Amino acid sequence: MSKIIGIDLGTTNSCVAVMEGGSPKVIHSAEGRNVIPSVVDPVKRVVGDVAKRQIVINPKSTIFSIKRLVGRKYSDKSVQHDLKLLPYAIKSGRDNMAVVEVAGKTYTPQEISAMVLQKIKADAESYLGEKVTEAVITVPAYFDDSQRQATKQAGEIAGLTVKRILNEPTAAALAYGLEKKHAHTVAVYDLGGGTFDISVLELGEGVYEVKATNGDTHLGGDDFDKKILDYLADEFKKENGVDLRKDPQALQRLRDAAEKAKIELSSSLEAEINLPFITQGKEGPLHLVTKLTRSKLESIVGDLIDSTIAPVEACLKDAKLTKDKIDEIVKVGGMTRMPKVIEVVEKFFGKEPNRSVNPDEVVAVGAAVQAGVLTGEVRDVVLLDVTPLTLGVETLGGVMTPLITRNTTVPTSKAEIFSTAADNQTSVEINVLQGERPMAADNKSLGRFILDGIPPAPRGMPQVEVTFDIDANGILNVSAKDKATGKSQSIKITGSTGLSKDEIEKMTKEAEAHASEDSDKKEKIETRNKADNMIYVAEKSLKDAGDKVSAEIKKEVEEKISALRGILESGTKEDLEVKTKDLSDSMQKIGQAMYQNQQASSPKPAGEKPTGDDKNGEDKKKNNVKKEEVQEGEVVS
Amino acid sequence: MNKKTDICQQLEKQIKELQDGNEGLKSKYLRALADYQNLEKRVISQREETAKYAAEKIIKELLAVLDTLKKADQHLNDSGLRLGVGDFLRVLIENGVKKIEVLHKKFDPNFMECVEIVENDKEDEVIEEIRAGYTLWDKIIRVAQVKVGKKKTQVKN
Repeated sequence: MSKIIGIDLGTTNSCVAVMEGGSPKVIHSAEGRNVIPSVVDPVKRVVGDVAKRQIVINPKSTIFSIKRLVGRKYSDKSVQHDLKLLPYAIKSGRDNMAVVEVAGKTYTPQEISAMVLQKIKADAESYLGEKVTEAVITVPAYFDDSQRQATKQAGEIAGLTVKRILNEPTAAALAYGLEKKHAHTVAVYDLGGGTFDISVLELGEGVYEVKATNGDTHLGGDDFDKKILDYLADEFKKENGVDLRKDPQALQRLRDAAEKAKIELSSSLEAEINLPFITQGKEGPLHLVTKLTRSKLESIVGDLIDSTIAPVEACLKDAKLTKDKIDEIVKVGGMTRMPKVIEVVEKFFGKEPNRSVNPDEVVAVGAAVQAGVLTGEVRDVVLLDVTPLTLGVETLGGVMTPLITRNTTVPTSKAEIFSTAADNQTSVEINVLQGERPMAADNKSLGRFILDGIPPAPRGMPQVEVTFDIDANGILNVSAKDKATGKSQSIKITGSTGLSKDEIEKMTKEAEAHASEDSDKKEKIETRNKADNMIYVAEKSLKDAGDKVSAEIKKEVEEKISALRGILESGTKEDLEVKTKDLSDSMQKIGQAMYQNQQASSPKPAGEKPTGDDKNGEDKKKNNVKKEEVQEGEVVS
Repeated sequence: MNKKTDICQQLEKQIKELQDGNEGLKSKYLRALADYQNLEKRVISQREETAKYAAEKIIKELLAVLDTLKKADQHLNDSGLRLGVGDFLRVLIENGVKKIEVLHKKFDPNFMECVEIVENDKEDEVIEEIRAGYTLWDKIIRVAQVKVGKKKTQVKN
């Protein structure tokens, strides 16, 4: 079945989304943006960013804000008002409806909107790789029947069957899945590019109903930009006596910079505005170099933000509700990213607004969710589980060694080879752990078992393969197998993913809280393990070398061994590192002695860790060349 | 005798059920495998794409710096600075950045944004480039800002 797309057909910008694999995805335009400017040149039939770029050349044939005219009569008060603000020609058409005239031809607002929808359709088709014929389109809650009909017609002209006309605030609530949370009353605060809407919704029979709406049809981000621009231009004029607004080129740069600063100040406290060579003064080029702080911005646009509160109050009054009766607040529109806007809304309602969904996309996302409900796709999702916490085993020194990390999708399996920690160790204990902490003791032990019957061998020699396997039902199977004998042991742990939500949260939080002390502890143990291994290797080397090294060297190495062993449990990480290095340096003398002894056969590396051996070999060769120096150095130390 | 046929029928029914179940599982398995392979392909192509355009964000920011340097160059006329600007441009070019040539071309909103109209006989032609536009490989990363000519009568209109 083909997909139904969800479209937010906005006054300034439009946006489109579709359900994919059970979650809504915003489709980017061919230009690579998440929104498409609702701008059309009907003569050249260009739409979006491309149309916007030629607005200066063709101010009379580039149509924007067509949503203000859709489904309205020419005599409408609002049309008469907009007439003065919009640069293109607006006429009275059939049945007295408002139409636009471009190059001697009239177009209904439906036709203009259809061109935006056609572009959206084409972009969606190229993304999905299939024909799109059906859509859910959103409209403001205050749209009357005629405006809704006109929007539906626009869809049909564009070749889309409109499966549903959805209220914008309802779409926003759907995007947050508020109906599933049983939020009874929802306030939607929508401050967009050119309009401000506030709506109160009430949940009845699983569907949101609009109780009341209010707003200001001529208040939005553009007004904010204008205020900032005026402030910057006034400041510049005060300082340099030049009005940048009179220079179209400078004005353009200033306009871009004002918008950029506004956006930057939503995430940082200060924005630098740097416009070198902005204009020509009496004594050469002038630069605009200034800083705008967030608090300054807030004082510039404060009255604009405050002016949104009166409509909110009026809306609540119409809905016969007090503000404490509002369960959830949803914010829509790019301007609601501004911290001051969030603050004002939060202060008014005494409640934090929902903000996880991109406010430019939230209406389109909600429309896509509605479309998904219509196709039944929302039900069709196969949910694969993930492991909520890391699973691993305990290794030498009580360290947790992870095998399957958290958030891995199950079913999955992972195997790793481990070895013994002591000579002639004939059994290993596998302690299965769950948690995010680096030390075994801090995590939850899910179970343990012993694999025995390992043939006696030097430490590090035996190969024990440990396999973790989680099936689709979350059942964890851990097995350990001795590669030499083929002997194996296993344990089955049910409910390894069945932790309660609280437990998972607690464990994850603990891991974050202890991150630094834990990693210190782990590093110390790793250092100790290294020291321990060095002692082992040194003793073995002494034994292998026998009487091929002088008693003097032997004594020195033995002393260093006992020095290191003495602090193995008690020493600090730094002490251990120093003493380990000491021992390693002295051991090189054994190597030198072996090489000097012509009759000496090569040392037997079997039984030692291959890596350790290689390194020693290298060190030995190096030392052979600079023998004198090293020995002198050793005597001094 | 009757009992035997009953068992036979039951077994046959079971076999049929298992076969059907097996078919279903097989098709689900193949579908999942296909999904996975498709995902792998998409990941590879996306990774190539990501690598190709990884520098886009920083290049866009550097273009603003280049604008400033070029403006300074125009005003100061310093040979050292000119070399620096040249070097800067060369590095960008080597990394796939190309300037969009606009001067004296017909205005095309796909590559340009008109910020001013000037009276000129050269109708719809780019008279002056205010801010250069650039492509990265085959993608427009910044459109050019231009002044466009219009005949006198039309300006009034």
